[in-house]
Amino acid sequence: MSDKTLTQPGGIDYRRRQRLARLAQTLVILAGAIVLTIYVLAPVTWLVSSSFQTEAEIVSVPPHWIPDEPTLQNFEAIFSATEEEEITYETRSGQDPASGGFIPSTAKNLLPAMWNSFLVATLVVILNLLVGVPAAYALAKIRFWGRDASVYFILITRVIPDIALVVPFFLVIKNLGMLDTIGSLVLTYLAVTVPFSVFILVQYFEGLPDELDKAARVDGCSRFQALVRVFLPLSLPSLVAVVLFTFLTSWNEFLLALMFTQTEASQTLPIVLAAFTSDFTISFSFINAAGVLAIVPPVIVAVIFERYIVSGLTAGAVKG
Amino acid sequence: MARIRFENVEKKYANGFHAVKDLNLDIQDKEFLVLLGPSGCGKSTTLNMIAGLEEVSDGRLMFDDMLVNYTPPHKRDVAMVFQSYALYPHKTVYDNIAFGLQMRKAPRDEIDRRVRDAAQKLEIAHLLDRRPSQLSGGQRQRVALGRAMVREPSVFLMDEPLSNLDAALRISMRAEIKELHQAMQTTFVYVTHDQAEALTLADRIVVMRDGVVQQVGSPDDIYERPQNTFVASFLGNPPINYIDGTIEVTDSSTARFVRGDLALTLTEATARKLADCNGREVRLGIRAEDVDETAQGGEGSVIRGKVNSVLPVGSDQFLGFDFYGEELFFRVGKDLSHRLGDDVALSVDLNRLHVFDKDSGKTLIW
Repeated sequence: MSDKTLTQPGGIDYRRRQRLARLAQTLVILAGAIVLTIYVLAPVTWLVSSSFQTEAEIVSVPPHWIPDEPTLQNFEAIFSATEEEEITYETRSGQDPASGGFIPSTAKNLLPAMWNSFLVATLVVILNLLVGVPAAYALAKIRFWGRDASVYFILITRVIPDIALVVPFFLVIKNLGMLDTIGSLVLTYLAVTVPFSVFILVQYFEGLPDELDKAARVDGCSRFQALVRVFLPLSLPSLVAVVLFTFLTSWNEFLLALMFTQTEASQTLPIVLAAFTSDFTISFSFINAAGVLAIVPPVIVAVIFERYIVSGLTAGAVKG
Repeated sequence: MARIRFENVEKKYANGFHAVKDLNLDIQDKEFLVLLGPSGCGKSTTLNMIAGLEEVSDGRLMFDDMLVNYTPPHKRDVAMVFQSYALYPHKTVYDNIAFGLQMRKAPRDEIDRRVRDAAQKLEIAHLLDRRPSQLSGGQRQRVALGRAMVREPSVFLMDEPLSNLDAALRISMRAEIKELHQAMQTTFVYVTHDQAEALTLADRIVVMRDGVVQQVGSPDDIYERPQNTFVASFLGNPPINYIDGTIEVTDSSTARFVRGDLALTLTEATARKLADCNGREVRLGIRAEDVDETAQGGEGSVIRGKVNSVLPVGSDQFLGFDFYGEELFFRVGKDLSHRLGDDVALSVDLNRLHVFDKDSGKTLIW
């Protein structure tokens, strides 16, 4: 093709114009991506940054995104808050909120709450896998009467908002004598998360060829062995999705925890964190340091498991 | 050692689909039996019932003298090769082949010996460390065969194992499967919709349609003496030609098939079987290759028509032939060339005619 055919009547080289258009498109996408990134990361950045600032620096205008004088005293305050150190109106009034030395009255509950949250989330993850995996295998690979109805029923339970379930849940938990126990949270979180876990796993198992199941069983596996020895190794991505989903859901859950827990015996992190904001005086530095601690475990879990979410595990199983 | 018997076996699915109807079949020990039929005819379901992957809805399924209706697959001594190979993608070729033996807790050195033996035989010894995703289709199929072989099962099941391979590979694998059967001396049940596979491999063929067995017999039986028009049509390339017409019986040993100008004199043996069929509407079947263009056919053995299409197929050619508005296809040699619209006269091999009842499609002569 000659250059003439590429030149438009306006005299601008057509190819150059196309390059410009592509460049403009790239710039628009880049600008959009930057705005979105700032929108997503700004709150987290501020949380982390301010946890290393004194109360005075936090409230300064304009805000310091990078602390002038980074300090660990907020974290020290969290880890040194103990039962013995009784906090009353008098002791608190002697503290100086502006310096960050101020500690909320429920500060000592923070670390036990974190442990509670971790315990609840871990139990919910384990039980989800124990219940969800066999259930999903059965629903995906065994044809039985009422199978489709079961899948729909399980899905429908996800449509009901949690708030609608609070009262019935409360009555059940109360009658079981489980109020203010970790068990009450594990039980209700399972009710909320298992349907979704089963749904994720059913979708995934259905995508695995039936012939693999048949081959395993002819090769000498019982149903259970076929599940454990053939399906589970291939389902790693969906198992990781379930682990992440259930862990994060349990870790962050607020409403049910607010209803069923009353003391540090069972209170979880979101409840204790929220209580800091309803104290006599609010210490932003302390709250933000607590907030940073609260996001550490989920971030660790996500980083550990994220690399297992890979596609293409089943490549080569059957003729594609 | 396994003889497999189906006694009045039925398979109905929960959705009401009746996949297999009143199946009675006796598969002999060490026999190579091929289940042949179009898709949805119940052949794979039958195979799955032998494997234990489908429950038997009614009737009895026996291995030797043992009822196995309720025996789960892992307790039946069967191995199976699937159309889609069904290799375990997370395991190496070695572990894929060894898996069945590992599940049966065979000693480790025994497993190793058998896996390497099988790999040697199938010429995949150099692939043992690879994963299925790194293999070609043919190699995967060999691994699938190896996985079944090492088990040394008493029944070897194959569900269209060659369908996903290309034509050349399919033919060479066919020969290997036949050798495998001879070497293993065990019962093979093989499902296919490919007539060529069935005819080359089988000791006996079972032709199925809509869950019902149409005919059981040796490849020769099935091809030469089809029991009905379905079986006759299913085998043969190009398919058998049908001409509707009437039988005219002269005496107990002479009869003719008549359709318009066409009158074919039936052989004495055929005529005797049709002695009481005078005036009966029948469907005459002529296999594409049962005509001869060069022979000088006598009166009563010649079919005439105008050439509609000429399809050369290498070794010979197919002639499309207009006959009372119906297209008939015959296989003729390449010696004579034809042009569209030519009049041709083909001499029919009267010994190889098939006569079916027009309504039921059942044979009237075998």
